[in-house]
Amino acid sequence: MGSRKIFGVCLVFACIIAACKHGSRRYQLRGQVLDKNLAKNEITVDHESIPGFMPAMTMPYKVKDPAVVQEVEPGDKIAAEVVVAEGGNDNWLENIRITAKSGRNTTKVPAPPKALAVGERVPNISLINQDGKTIHLDGFKGKALLLTFIYTRCPMPNFCPRLSSQFAKIHEDLAKTPGTYAKTHLLTVSFDPKYDTAPVLRRYGLAYLNNDASGFAQWDFASAAPADLRKLADAFGLVYFEQDNQIAHSMDIVLISPQEKIVKYWATEWTTAELEDALRTEATAKSTRQMARAGGMK
Amino acid sequence: MRRVHLCFLWWWLALIAALLDIWPACSDQHASQRGHELFQQNCAMCHEASNLDLKKQPPKLEGLFQRKALPSGAPATDAQVRKTIINGIGTMPSFQGRLSDEDVNNLVEYLHQLN
Repeated sequence: MGSRKIFGVCLVFACIIAACKHGSRRYQLRGQVLDKNLAKNEITVDHESIPGFMPAMTMPYKVKDPAVVQEVEPGDKIAAEVVVAEGGNDNWLENIRITAKSGRNTTKVPAPPKALAVGERVPNISLINQDGKTIHLDGFKGKALLLTFIYTRCPMPNFCPRLSSQFAKIHEDLAKTPGTYAKTHLLTVSFDPKYDTAPVLRRYGLAYLNNDASGFAQWDFASAAPADLRKLADAFGLVYFEQDNQIAHSMDIVLISPQEKIVKYWATEWTTAELEDALRTEATAKSTRQMARAGGMK
Repeated sequence: MRRVHLCFLWWWLALIAALLDIWPACSDQHASQRGHELFQQNCAMCHEASNLDLKKQPPKLEGLFQRKALPSGAPATDAQVRKTIINGIGTMPSFQGRLSDEDVNNLVEYLHQLN
């Protein structure tokens, strides 16, 4: 496994930098800088295995000192400390040292596609769900739809498993208020159609639905033909690509209105409560036309 | 002269016997060492962590083979653990395509010593 790299580009901030560092853990990182983002104060590093924390992979890290982001350049080799906050849901780099200046970028990270803007209508893309049935992205009219992307083999607890766990919590909470539950839908799309076939997605979904298949009525797990999946990912600005038999990807959550229009994206920071509140609000909000009609009747 | 030759012969036979005797132990040690590396790279981030923001906290794996059953309830056998690693179970992801058969064997060897 040492020579096998899992290239993961997860364009995400793990969380807000924890104010309290009590109980944080530190790991040594060695790798090569592939990209830097001054606006987000992060660098993307193709790093070696970090025993006890994560396998060799490519991913972005927040940087404690913004001056370092200015200083490092793609191609530089670095040594740094990964600080993992208590609970493991946040991490960042500290004590970054440039060990070799190369100035050459050896791996090209694809530029994110231009996503549909808020207010634009979702495209009509066909997906195959956990039951092998064809569903359509524009087939959830009348419901507030929360959509995200995962792949079931993702081994990183802070990425796909966390997303599915958050959706599971939202699903459990919504089920307690049947009125709102009926006006919402969750959709988890896998960008690994080769492995994530309908039976695999069904098994995966059941693990997050407490083995209650009735939950699929409000939460679909789906994938699509590679060409359709690419269209879908491009529409929502998701980056993913295969490398070394693994999938590198960004993170993306999209809220779609009952009128099938994009309401909001989350790609860097969010909480389960924030997602659930937004979904409930959208499900229960009256449309502009309904409000105008109600206003005219007064 | 013949006596000297016999001495050498006995010496060589003793050396070969000793090597044959310790060879399996060396091999197991190598597998376990490699298994430890694989565990740190692939398993520890979940199974050694605590308070992860996950639906279910991954179970600790110390003494896995001393138990009657795995956390899933399946029998604690090498074959079942191999199957779990390759196919995944519940919210644990599959490691198919990520770990070779040799990797999985080394991991199982290490898990036997994880007490």
